[in-house]
Amino acid sequence: MDNSTPGMDEKLVSLLDGDLSPEERMTVEQQLAGNALLQQQYDSLLATKAAIRHFGLQQQVGAIHSQMMAELNAPVRKISPVRKMIRYTSAVAAGILILVAGFFAYQYFSLTPEKVFSANYQPYELNTSRGTTTNSLIEEAFRQKKYEEVIRLRDAATEPNIKNDFLAGAAALELNNLSLARQRFASVIEQNKTANTMVLNDEAEYYLALTQIRQKDFAAAVMLLEKIQQDSGHTYSAKVKNGLLNDVRKLSEQ
Amino acid sequence: MEVIRNFPDSELVANIRSGQRMEDTIKAIYRGHFEGLCWYVMNNSGSRQDAEDIFQEVLVSFIELVQQDKFRGESTVKTFLYSLNRYTWLNELKRRGRALAREEKYEKGQVHIEMDAGHTIADREGKAEVLKVVADLGDTCKKILLLFYYENLSMKEILDQTDYESEQVVRNKKYKCLKQLEQMVNANPALRETLKNLIHG
Repeated sequence: MDNSTPGMDEKLVSLLDGDLSPEERMTVEQQLAGNALLQQQYDSLLATKAAIRHFGLQQQVGAIHSQMMAELNAPVRKISPVRKMIRYTSAVAAGILILVAGFFAYQYFSLTPEKVFSANYQPYELNTSRGTTTNSLIEEAFRQKKYEEVIRLRDAATEPNIKNDFLAGAAALELNNLSLARQRFASVIEQNKTANTMVLNDEAEYYLALTQIRQKDFAAAVMLLEKIQQDSGHTYSAKVKNGLLNDVRKLSEQ
Repeated sequence: MEVIRNFPDSELVANIRSGQRMEDTIKAIYRGHFEGLCWYVMNNSGSRQDAEDIFQEVLVSFIELVQQDKFRGESTVKTFLYSLNRYTWLNELKRRGRALAREEKYEKGQVHIEMDAGHTIADREGKAEVLKVVADLGDTCKKILLLFYYENLSMKEILDQTDYESEQVVRNKKYKCLKQLEQMVNANPALRETLKNLIHG
């Protein structure tokens, strides 16, 4: 040890620790450059510090090594063939369930009054009676699809006529005049009720229900459709299937 | 929950040089390279335990070489680690006296990117001696010296982790511990040679 300069040992440790000011550091480094024994003494401190750092690093790597072996060697659980089959079956079942649920969800959310109306609406067609040579003007206009003329002729008639009212209702429906169509079909039903007749009554009820669907009056439409379905003698009973009723009920829930 | 991520080589080397995020960096090296390096040892007469031991040595050598600026980025970290791994394992096989001619022949065909770092990584027994001499130091001294020289904590931070009355008392204790370890190191010339190689390569 160099004892020629008192406190030199502490100064070397301060140099090692980076505790010296730039001036002090320069002075000590100059002393080191000119004194082999002092340099040897400083090298000894550097070696000691290297030993500590090597030990610290080894310890840190060792600690992380244990953690990493636990992470990297995590056992992969073997699944028995039965459990594997159950798992695959469950996966397939879940897949099918998702598809079915998706299908119904699509049906539910894509359901609109227009879709239900279009799926069930057919334009009314007048029967052509053999041997009949004379048609009223309103019937003729209807056959020629002159719907505005049909409505005008009905309004111009002096006497109320169930058939004219029905044709005017069907013409209004074709022209998308829903309130007029509803008014005319209701009039047909009302007149039949008053006269205790059934002239075009079934047709009027069915087309009125379709009009109500389009008008989004689903409660009234359901009530009328249920009546038609339950009446086995009704002309349109077979047309009112459960699917149609369910669709209208779903629309009323949306 | 721990976020697992990989570092690009540049970030990995920068972290090691600065000593920042060492734990995450070491873990990233494990995740990226352990399996490959392990496979090499196990396919060249080594056991799983050999592979794990060699990997730890390789990792310590790599970090020390990076901190000494011996890794110049001329190859990727992966290539460098694989070379260190091969070099360390073949040296170990030779030490055990059962290196196979085939392995030596194979080794001659490899590019030795780390030859100038040979001193740093080769002295396995010497390094074991280094660990032993520090381990033989008392627990208190070991703790203070590690906190100061490895964790780079200030005297105030060390004071918070110990029962001493003041920073000056911690400073005096640290000085005494350093001198004690220095004496133990100087008592073993072979150890000093190993440490000299560790510092200068």
